[in-house]
Amino acid sequence: MIQFDRFKLDNGLTVLFHKDTTTPMAVVNILYNVGARDESEDKTGFAHLFEHLMFGGSVNIPEFDTPLQLAGGENNAFTSNDITNYYDVLPVKNIETALWLESDRMLSLAFTPKSLEVQRSVVIEEFKQRYLNQPYGDVWLELRPEVYKVHPYKWATIGKEIKHIEEATMEDVKGFFNKFYHPANAIMCIGGNMELEEVKRLVAKWFADIPAGEINQRDLPQEPKQTEFREKTIERAVPTDAFYYSFRMEDRLHPDYLVYDTLSDILGRDKSSRLYKSLKKDQGLVSNINAYVTGSIDSGLLIISGKLNDGITFEQLDEAFWKEMDKLLEAKVSDDELNRIMIKIRTSNEFQNQAVLNRAMALCMNELLGDADMINHESEKYAAITAEDLQRVASSTLIKTNCTLLNVKASHAE
Amino acid sequence: MPNRNEQPELVAIEAIDFVAPKKYDLSSTVPLYHMKEVQNETSRFDLYFDAGNCRGEKGIPGFTNGLLLSGTPTKTSVQIQEEINSLGGFLESGVAVENAVVSMYCLRENLKDILNTILDAIKNVDFKEDEIKELCADRKQKWRINQEKVATKAQQEFRSKLFASNDRYAITLEEKDFENIAQSDLKEFHEKYYLQGLTKVVIVGNFEEETILEMAELFKPFLASEVGDFDSNVLHEPGIQKIEKEGALQTAIRAGRMLFNKDHEDYLDFLFVNTILGDYFGSRLMANIREDKGYTYGIGSMMAELDGTGYFLMATEVGKEVRDETLKEIQFELTRLQTELVPEDEMQLVRNYMLGQLLKSADGAYAMTDLFLSAELHGKSLDFYNDVISAIHAITPERVQELTKKYLNWEDMAVVAVG
Repeated sequence: MIQFDRFKLDNGLTVLFHKDTTTPMAVVNILYNVGARDESEDKTGFAHLFEHLMFGGSVNIPEFDTPLQLAGGENNAFTSNDITNYYDVLPVKNIETALWLESDRMLSLAFTPKSLEVQRSVVIEEFKQRYLNQPYGDVWLELRPEVYKVHPYKWATIGKEIKHIEEATMEDVKGFFNKFYHPANAIMCIGGNMELEEVKRLVAKWFADIPAGEINQRDLPQEPKQTEFREKTIERAVPTDAFYYSFRMEDRLHPDYLVYDTLSDILGRDKSSRLYKSLKKDQGLVSNINAYVTGSIDSGLLIISGKLNDGITFEQLDEAFWKEMDKLLEAKVSDDELNRIMIKIRTSNEFQNQAVLNRAMALCMNELLGDADMINHESEKYAAITAEDLQRVASSTLIKTNCTLLNVKASHAE
Repeated sequence: MPNRNEQPELVAIEAIDFVAPKKYDLSSTVPLYHMKEVQNETSRFDLYFDAGNCRGEKGIPGFTNGLLLSGTPTKTSVQIQEEINSLGGFLESGVAVENAVVSMYCLRENLKDILNTILDAIKNVDFKEDEIKELCADRKQKWRINQEKVATKAQQEFRSKLFASNDRYAITLEEKDFENIAQSDLKEFHEKYYLQGLTKVVIVGNFEEETILEMAELFKPFLASEVGDFDSNVLHEPGIQKIEKEGALQTAIRAGRMLFNKDHEDYLDFLFVNTILGDYFGSRLMANIREDKGYTYGIGSMMAELDGTGYFLMATEVGKEVRDETLKEIQFELTRLQTELVPEDEMQLVRNYMLGQLLKSADGAYAMTDLFLSAELHGKSLDFYNDVISAIHAITPERVQELTKKYLNWEDMAVVAVG
């Protein structure tokens, strides 16, 4: 059970407080309700570029990092297709420094041309390091537009192409800030060994005078149901053939969301999962295989990916692959299989919720989805999943007309 | 209205509560450490074996480790995995230069059962030919993919220059090393370094002493009677090597040298020097090469330790077109530390930052255990970290300059750039 208190400021900022008496550290986690899905198609990669600019100094404070380090703390942030999340971890005694810094950059940024110029280069290097200069690094750049034809999930958070980042202007940056970076568009969670009254006092002190912004009504084109099998093969200078079977699934708030998650575990979470046993150990077709869900807020993907063994063709795998899918449609999973996955889910949740930072992030994310308290009901929802549920969801999901297949063919003549 | 122009008052960190695990002697040389102070149902065990890369011929230590759970005369590898997974276990196993560690994360209620499964698998593994073949093919594929990464290539080349005087430390596999692995070599290595190679056990979790003593019995058959020596005088080969890789968009740079470990009198103060130079976001290298020039997504430096020695390393990936400029800027930052005293406000910043991070690395039973193990490796107790705190408070700009002049000369470094 993750205990928390919730209060809201007049300017719309939602605050969660999670008391943890066991740690000398404190966490300030702020989730802004903006991600790559909020970008326009001719200016992609912007939410993420903007995350970098949030460290380039704010209206009253020339540098973000130095005062935090002086307080013995450190910070980081990440951007996804759905959200942008910032966090500071520092000794609880110095928590006020984090609130001072975070409130000032919520108030306004410094917007220096130097910061924009440098962070554009840094992000371009990140683009190369993570997506272009890695074997298989560009798979998501290729796969997304095959699956998503109208929803903005068709581009990756890093952006569609480097050019969009190169062309970002100061005007774009300011517009983005005004639209998305204000109290009503943020959820903050404070975790640590403090009293609620003290938290309320400090939060009011630093955040109450930030002007309320206008809430942005999100109206994204939703991706229609997929009705035909899609397939694309790309050739790359990689040593080994790789495959990515991608099935459309329901959105994060759908009652079946956790069933999809469990289904992916049954298929390929570990070395006793179905596909590992059958396609790797029994048939020797693949060197590795994994299954997972993307976890996005709007309709996401269940992905099964892996690499072929030398001498095996995509066709050989494909035939065996669909036989495995059919088995899930035809027969229920065994009790053993289901129990094994449930204990793994229970164990990993217990480890995950160990760190106060993870708890703070999860509380913010669940609050965004509707109610932070949902985090406390996840285990019972997993436990209620039955073999019938899995079969039902498999029957509507693991079928060819709901699948997009991306194959990466090795072009190396070796 | 709050005063937004001034940082709220800071409270200095004067002392940290360090909690050591309890020690049990499995033999006169093999300890078992138990950290009980876990607040929830999680637990972990680590088994340390004297089965590092330096103990075997090319690849053999790695393949042996990779096959530990590959089956026994009565169980297949899949059956072993099913047993572990039906108890919710998460396995981590790997080989370093000087040891091999098998770790398991699971719920407390399942730890003992999983331990039994793991020990039985390790004890009775029979190295079936088809499992050997499969592992070698998988590893070869992974190796070929890694060869495409400039970071991996640079790391390999760097290691061979860093550990130049001892090729068992510098071990770099080639494609042919994944073929024709003899079962007998694996068996021999397993017999010597696993079956009689257990050098340390760590258990984290809220267990009663009685349970720990029961588990202690399970380890008895595996204990190492003695741990062989490690090389305490590895020598690196200074010099710059640039390797072109066609089609690469970035160049990976690794630069560093052999240095020392916690046993050395300059270690504590050099920790501070390393932080200033490259071990935090506001470091000299990050401030210049990322935040001013925008050459890279990240650059950093680190210190790593071995049993009898240690080394220092700087690492980054930069745009291919700015490779030489980056090397020049790294050199510039080293020279600047040698010729200009670090200003007092930067000294204070790094002091506070390091103390905050030390507090964080002592936060919780798992972090505290790892902190303890890092000191224990060099025969030190947690008192060592009180010495760290004192050293952080006491160090002067003059001392930083002295150490930089002594240890951070560019011409002493082994430097590799691939891309």
